[in-house]
Amino acid sequence: MNIMETKGLYHDFKGLKVLFDVNLEIKEGERHAIIGPNGAGKTTLFNVITGTYEPSKGHIFFKEREITGFKPHQLTRMGMGRSFQITSTFTRLTAFQNIRMGVLSKRGIRFNLFQLLDGMNEVTEETDQILKRINLYGERDVPASALSYGKSRSLEISMALATDPDLVMLDEPTAGMSVDETRTAVKLIRKLTEGKTMVIIEHDMDVVFSLADRITVLHLGAILASGAPDEIKDNQAVKDAYLGELEV
Amino acid sequence: MKQNLLNWIFLAAIVIIAAFIPMIFGIYYSNVIVLFSIFALYAVSYNLLLGYTGLLSFGHAMFFGGGAYATALALTHIPGFPLLLALLTGGLAAVFLALIVSPLLVRVSGTAFAMLTLAFGQLLYVICLKYREVTGGEDGVGGFPIPSLNIPGIVSIEMTDPLKYYYFALIVVLLSLFIMWFFTKTPFGQIVVSIRDNANRVDYLGFKVPHSKAIVFIVSGFFAGIAGALYAMLQDLVSTDGALTVYMSFFPIMMAFIGGIGSYFGPIYGAAILTIIDEVAAAYTEHFELVTGIIFILVVLFAPLGFAGFLNFVKIKWSARSSHQGTAEEVS
Repeated sequence: MNIMETKGLYHDFKGLKVLFDVNLEIKEGERHAIIGPNGAGKTTLFNVITGTYEPSKGHIFFKEREITGFKPHQLTRMGMGRSFQITSTFTRLTAFQNIRMGVLSKRGIRFNLFQLLDGMNEVTEETDQILKRINLYGERDVPASALSYGKSRSLEISMALATDPDLVMLDEPTAGMSVDETRTAVKLIRKLTEGKTMVIIEHDMDVVFSLADRITVLHLGAILASGAPDEIKDNQAVKDAYLGELEV
Repeated sequence: MKQNLLNWIFLAAIVIIAAFIPMIFGIYYSNVIVLFSIFALYAVSYNLLLGYTGLLSFGHAMFFGGGAYATALALTHIPGFPLLLALLTGGLAAVFLALIVSPLLVRVSGTAFAMLTLAFGQLLYVICLKYREVTGGEDGVGGFPIPSLNIPGIVSIEMTDPLKYYYFALIVVLLSLFIMWFFTKTPFGQIVVSIRDNANRVDYLGFKVPHSKAIVFIVSGFFAGIAGALYAMLQDLVSTDGALTVYMSFFPIMMAFIGGIGSYFGPIYGAAILTIIDEVAAAYTEHFELVTGIIFILVVLFAPLGFAGFLNFVKIKWSARSSHQGTAEEVS
């Protein structure tokens, strides 16, 4: 069953066509990587699916419900979580407070004006558990802006996962990381996304082939190929357009 | 939490001192203190927008003035209007205004937001100035009866007695400050602070940003309206120049900045500092605004976290070991 799919998706920015008839199918439980050269429209595709933009044309379905034009908060509440390519945390809040926002969202605590947040022990416990799992408990009370790059990337990914989504969309989670940091991040992603459907945009082919069981190649705003990692590796069109230059 | 406890103890000490001030210094200074506490309340309500939500509004006087006018008009036209209801009328009138302006204001940000708040504030100013059949124009609304605090069968306290009004106002202000402090510590308060840091991410975590901002407007407006109502009953006069001018919108900005927008208690310090400066400078010059203006410039240039930031800095220096604790503790 498809947990999410797009049908004939187009998007343009004032005449500049960025997405061109994208038909993407994400099956429940799969780990799907979207790859493609810079400017292929990967992040735009994410933005259109997750509600940053409304598509110029086409339809998006999530859990068999049409979600075209839905706002990000609606999609999050339906079980779609997203992380960002450019770290997007609450910089002046502590690591703990950042994660706690995700926990609050998951528990549906939104307009509570009658309880002290620090007194909500279950929320605190759950947040601390997540911090321990992602190895950030030592930096619990450090403002997000003061975390090392690797740690703030972990925080970025974990905030999306703290809402306990069914579908996780990760936009270049390892962008800008060192080799060591990347290795740790891949482990973390694997651990945190267990049992969830994941869509990941990634440039690092090692990461892609170690995490994904399906790959879609986006090129000039259109899907060039989609299939299992081995099929993609051997696909001539993909080699010509993208993988060839990377010499995989 | 520890820092907050200290602040509350500090506040409690001030309250106890304040309780005895009229006996020691006489009624003139107790009026100064009432005025200070009204402005402290006004400035803290403003800081819910600026420090907590990251919204720089240039029109907060519409809530203060709106509340003041509503209370004054209710007391003028409704015979026997009770005191607490008059107070509440000020708050609710401000809420009503917040409900009118927020659908537009919550959808814009940055410069557009600042300009729109300025426009709304000036709009109300002009309406009150020109609609003289109701508002009395430049003369304003004055000479209305100040009701007694009546709890039937138990007590009846004459509020025309400045001493009694002093205690009444102080209690209302303290209660309001406590409710707003509580508000910032709720889950919703945390969402508000997150909006300041990164509204887009708040949306992506499943919270409605515009609705949340609207609620902040309502809460902030309500308490500004309460401050306005207290002000109206203190002066027994509300005029456009006294309650609705653009200067009235700038006061809480200055107080918040001088005291420190990064702290709940900052604007209270700011209100205290400005009150003291006004009192001292007024003895020497008619142009005490010049003094406050220069101080405002100095604070913005050299101490962007204001007096509270300075206190925090001293605290960190004092206990240099707990390095990052201090910065994370404030407004968060």
